[in-house]
Amino acid sequence: MEISRRDFMHICAIFGLGATTASSAAPRAVSQISLKDINSFKDTGNFTLLHVCDMHAHIKPLYWREPSTLISAPNLVGTPGFLCGEAFAKHYGLEPSSLDAYFDTHIDFESLAKKFGKMGGIAHIKTVVEHVRKTRGEENVLFLDSGDTWQGTGVALKSRGEAIVKAQNYLGIDVMVGHWEFTYGKERVKELIEMLDAKFISQNVVGNDSFADDYEELIFEPYTIEERGGAKIGIIGQSFPFTSTANPKEFTQGWSFGLRLDTLQEYVDELREEHKVDCVVVLSHDGFSVDQEVARKVNGIDFILSGHTHDPSPKPIVINGCVIVIAGSHGKYVGRLDIDAKDGKVRDYEYKLIPIASKLIPADPEGEKLVEELYAPYNKELNEVLGKTKNILYKRDTFFSTFDQLINDAIMDEMKCDISFTPGYRWGTTVLAGEDILMDNVYEMCGITYPDVYTFELKGDKIASLLEDIADNVFNANPLYQQGGDMSRLGGVTYSIAVSNKAGERISNLMIGNKPIDLNKTYIVSSWGGNLQNAGTNLQEDKIRAVYDITRDYIKRKKVVDVSNEGNVTLLDYDCGCPVEGSRSCS
Amino acid sequence: MQRRDFLRNLGVGAAGAVILPSVSFAADAPKPKGSNVLSYKDALKAVTGGKTAEVSAKVNLKVPEIAENGAVVPVTVEIDYPMTDSNYVKAIHVLTEKNANSRCIDVHLSPANGKAMLATRVKLGETQEIVAIAELSNGTFLMASQSVKVTIGGCG
Repeated sequence: MEISRRDFMHICAIFGLGATTASSAAPRAVSQISLKDINSFKDTGNFTLLHVCDMHAHIKPLYWREPSTLISAPNLVGTPGFLCGEAFAKHYGLEPSSLDAYFDTHIDFESLAKKFGKMGGIAHIKTVVEHVRKTRGEENVLFLDSGDTWQGTGVALKSRGEAIVKAQNYLGIDVMVGHWEFTYGKERVKELIEMLDAKFISQNVVGNDSFADDYEELIFEPYTIEERGGAKIGIIGQSFPFTSTANPKEFTQGWSFGLRLDTLQEYVDELREEHKVDCVVVLSHDGFSVDQEVARKVNGIDFILSGHTHDPSPKPIVINGCVIVIAGSHGKYVGRLDIDAKDGKVRDYEYKLIPIASKLIPADPEGEKLVEELYAPYNKELNEVLGKTKNILYKRDTFFSTFDQLINDAIMDEMKCDISFTPGYRWGTTVLAGEDILMDNVYEMCGITYPDVYTFELKGDKIASLLEDIADNVFNANPLYQQGGDMSRLGGVTYSIAVSNKAGERISNLMIGNKPIDLNKTYIVSSWGGNLQNAGTNLQEDKIRAVYDITRDYIKRKKVVDVSNEGNVTLLDYDCGCPVEGSRSCS
Repeated sequence: MQRRDFLRNLGVGAAGAVILPSVSFAADAPKPKGSNVLSYKDALKAVTGGKTAEVSAKVNLKVPEIAENGAVVPVTVEIDYPMTDSNYVKAIHVLTEKNANSRCIDVHLSPANGKAMLATRVKLGETQEIVAIAELSNGTFLMASQSVKVTIGGCG
């Protein structure tokens, strides 16, 4: 499909191209839009921070549809971090059907996908990064990665993270923090850090094994000081504070996480007073809403480069003098932050979230070659066509998404269980209606180091209280008590929810197999990606099998899958999936 | 706090004489008849004798927002208060809102301790408030509390 003159003007606006050039630009085909158009930016200050977060190992371009439901507690809804769809477009002033509307919202996703194509990919990211390095001077650019980089695709899982470390080295990442990185286990994390050119820092990972040498000692360097453009930049690392509750403890046994705001404040002060830095940056995997709380509670941070919650935020937010940015997910964007800092003070900055539109930004041939090499050992398995999908398969949304439902259908079909639990992670992929489903897509949805599906027994009252517990992790009015994911997806279950109710009183009308839940009855439950099995009894050990194998076999049996987007959850206290600030509805 | 800081703090104390606070755990507390049950209300009354404990920023309670392991939740209490012969913190008490036995630990101090501070671990059966109470030599009480979430698991 051709890109119209109107589209082109929007693209020019996104990339900061001057209006005069834009208005004189004739309609051009995608291939005619030059790199010069794309890279335009108002250079500011003495150095540039480039930022990626939550790439989830997507070294190739992909489709990624943003959520059509993003519900939270009433005090948070419609604020940055809890914006989607029309509310997002309104908040940030996006033009309908523009490239940025395609990148940032679910609206008209499928038709825009055909027009604008796939997103991200390291070869395309590299083109943008190299342009910045060339125009700003390599010695004035720092490339920071907020983590969730090593996990999320088949090539990552099968190379145990190594393929992605090679991709980061190719991109020239300077500093990173982690979350899903830790699910390769402590030993592998250390091996991968050896291979990594970047520094891995975290002030909030501390030994808690009283018999180990590192008891109450930092596991990683808490911060690093880098010089760029004549400025001393102090960068403090903040890995995901809830790694040991969100992911299996055995991967990080002996390491304690947490927000650790008191030591964060100490490091900020140390960088300013002892090291006399010109600028204090926190490279974070706390999540966008938690980092807004961090900015309120910790003084003296100039910039937080956030991650974890996968929000694209075209504009920075400023709280307590701290500028917070976050750069979406899946390699869809690179954040560019030009900073003017001198004599211990930030004087000016300029920010832009650059969409990595793979149809518009040419691929770096070196990067394409690298991706090919990294995939070569696994192509046979990953490129296998398992079947087709009738409707769009996507991940995200607060309660339900079609690819998760497909996984639940597959588990229920094989395990013959009453209920299936699939985790509310925010990473995954999108497969357009009518397209082939590849094995690669299945790994993009569930390629984790603990893929086993457990089938066990759980009493009705336990199921009800578990759901309330999970709901409070998602909907707590205080961001510090949230864990930054969405509700677990349930197969075989329907329920109603009042998000704004107190903890323990949100869920009603809970039906299992179309019958009201019996609190005294024992149900057969299958789950993966969490630790629900620990709460259950009579684990069926002979049935344990990896979720990606179960999903693959199911799609192959079905040949064509047809998952409706109807959902299994009734939302009682909001009128729509993307409410605007201060409202229970979309307008 | 880093271990070295802790050791450094200890070192300061050691320059004088090391005075160990006397500590009693819930298990040592006079037990009610029957099972080991003591409600928050009763525990609070036992500690304060019915007096009101005033919420105060001087009581610096450090607990995680979300427990990594409900069985061993680290709790640190530091009281920003003089420790002179005539004016000092007599005891620090840690209570939990919903545990079967609400009373976790009582640490009795004297001015010779130099600093009113404790670090321990408590077991939490479910999401609840942890309450720290400072008992002052003048017979009044200060307190601080924070909610700790105990969760079976979350999301990524």
